[in-house]
Amino acid sequence: MTGAGPALSAAAGVVYALILSPIVVVLLLAFSADNFILFPPSGYSLRWFIQLAANGPLLNALLLSAQIAVAVTALSLLIGVPAALALAKGGFRGAEAMKSFFLAPLLLPTLIIGLALLLAFTPLRLTATLPGLALGHMTITLPFVIRMMTTAFAAMPDDIEAAAATLGASPRRVIRRVTLPLAAPGLIACAALSFLLSFDETVISLFLSGPRAATLPVEMVRYVEGRTDPLIAALSMVLIVGTLVIVVLVERLVGVARAFGNERS
Amino acid sequence: MAYLELSGLTKRYRDSVAVDGLSLSVERGESVALLGPSGCGKTTTLRMLAGLVEPNEGVIALDGAEITRTAAHRRNMGYVFQSYALFPHLDVARNIGFGLEERGVARAEREQRVEDALQLVRLQGLGHRRPRELSGGQQQRVALARALVIRPSVLLLDESLSNLDAKLRDAMRHEIREIQRSLAITTLFVTHDQVEALTMCDRIAVMNRGRIAQIGSATDIYERPATRFVATFVGRANMLPAERGADGRLTLWGEALPAAAPSGGEVDVFVRPQRLKLAPAGEPAGADMARVSGHVLNSVFVGDHIEVIVAGPGGQRLTVEIQSGDAPPPDGAEVAVMWRAQDTLVFPREAA
Ligand SMILES: Nc1ncnc2c1ncn2[C@@H]1O[C@H](COP(=O)(O)OP(=O)(O)O)[C@@H](O)[C@H]1O
Ligand SMILES: [Mg+2]
Repeated sequence: MTGAGPALSAAAGVVYALILSPIVVVLLLAFSADNFILFPPSGYSLRWFIQLAANGPLLNALLLSAQIAVAVTALSLLIGVPAALALAKGGFRGAEAMKSFFLAPLLLPTLIIGLALLLAFTPLRLTATLPGLALGHMTITLPFVIRMMTTAFAAMPDDIEAAAATLGASPRRVIRRVTLPLAAPGLIACAALSFLLSFDETVISLFLSGPRAATLPVEMVRYVEGRTDPLIAALSMVLIVGTLVIVVLVERLVGVARAFGNERS
Repeated sequence: MAYLELSGLTKRYRDSVAVDGLSLSVERGESVALLGPSGCGKTTTLRMLAGLVEPNEGVIALDGAEITRTAAHRRNMGYVFQSYALFPHLDVARNIGFGLEERGVARAEREQRVEDALQLVRLQGLGHRRPRELSGGQQQRVALARALVIRPSVLLLDESLSNLDAKLRDAMRHEIREIQRSLAITTLFVTHDQVEALTMCDRIAVMNRGRIAQIGSATDIYERPATRFVATFVGRANMLPAERGADGRLTLWGEALPAAAPSGGEVDVFVRPQRLKLAPAGEPAGADMARVSGHVLNSVFVGDHIEVIVAGPGGQRLTVEIQSGDAPPPDGAEVAVMWRAQDTLVFPREAA
């Protein structure tokens, strides 16, 4: 600690408490034994977790959300990484303009994107389908991947790739053997964040979901509209633990990628 | 036609000309230094040779074949980057073997050649280290081994020693020179350090503002600099404005100079500090000697020699180098400064 006085530490503690307190509330509610949301609960049990395991619509939504997130992540990387490579390394005219263009969706309110997608997808019969929802989420994740990876590629020292070229590696081989391995930590982080962005996405999904197909956040919104029992708290606990697992996994993977030498000494 | 021919090579950037119509011939097995101040276009020249930068004009020919537009990965140039540019995600052996893998050299031969290369740069047993686990000098050797193992047509070294400390630099200088000689590998060596250029290469090309100012042996460059720039950039120099006497002959500090003057225009006189000798005031100059008189301003002990600063009647200064064993004259002493007439060079004033 350098110069942060006790007052500042105390202030930081209060802020943390404020941020974390809703999670504590959810944690306690998830183990409630009551029929309704009552805080603090009058007793504790696992009954809402058991109820959750038998709730068809929510489990289906969870499965759909996971499928969408996997597809969105894979497609965003498949399209976004080559695009970022071209933008960062291609050096063609208009690259700057294209970078701004790809950033634009990130600045647009998701409400507007959702409405526009609904209008565009309805005649194409893409609403309330896995491909439609995945495409919708990619309006968020793809610009994000392109943006992050363009920065990551641009920050890479050019000489290392030039060295590979002088040693006989064709441009394709340079990308495979040098550029991508060096970008591994960025790629892993991008994949994880894409997954979480898609999994968590609510606004666009609300526009594009229907009775046939709803993502987990949409199904959760619908559930709390109709009822007020601690089931949702139990589900939230599951999601929090799942997110933590992903974060720890990414930390580990990025750490491993770094250990393979991407960090400059 | 020489083994490597650069002719009229030009590289322009948006607001500057990095290399300006540069021509250079290098014989097979020869080692040539590109010596010049920072920003004179040395790196750009090397990068054009390696195919990493495309020239706007000019031709590069290797062994009779034009390679001006050949892609970098088809040129077979061994490039040692100033930053070393080792692959941080590969161990030392795979760094060195990279070029062989790209060439499809079979595993057994590859391992043998990597082993030989490690031995050549005296890094045996370090094949499994990561680059960041090596010292700067060791990383430098890996970069050298990696460039040599592909048996390049030309070895290109870009300020390869400038990141090393002085002692290591000396050792590496000799090592690289030895390797270059024993493998008889054609080498272009970029440096802004004249000692490196003078000791490591058969010929030196002194560059200034994207052009070659002079090319020749170390002795040529040092003893017979072709331009004022070369004279002052390589080695230490005294450069003083000369006057013209009534008969058109040159004088310095009011005394006649036994040096031929180019006709017309203002000129400067050039003489190296270590060619100057101090003598008691009033001592006459011998035959074929130049002589001026002044007084000692001060003396500076620089280790292997002493610099004695002598001021003339007009306040202009000459630096005289004497051996550090000799006692310098006291400050303020009247002295004569003498040198052989043949050590005097005369350059037009305006030409840089
Ligand atoms: N990529 C580039 N874009 C613009 N100017 C450049 C670029 N590379 C080099 N230059 C300019 O060209 C000149 C020569 O550079 P360089 O070849 O690196 O010089 P040196 O290696 O002799 O120090 C410098 O003035 C430099 O600013
Ligand atoms: Mg340079």
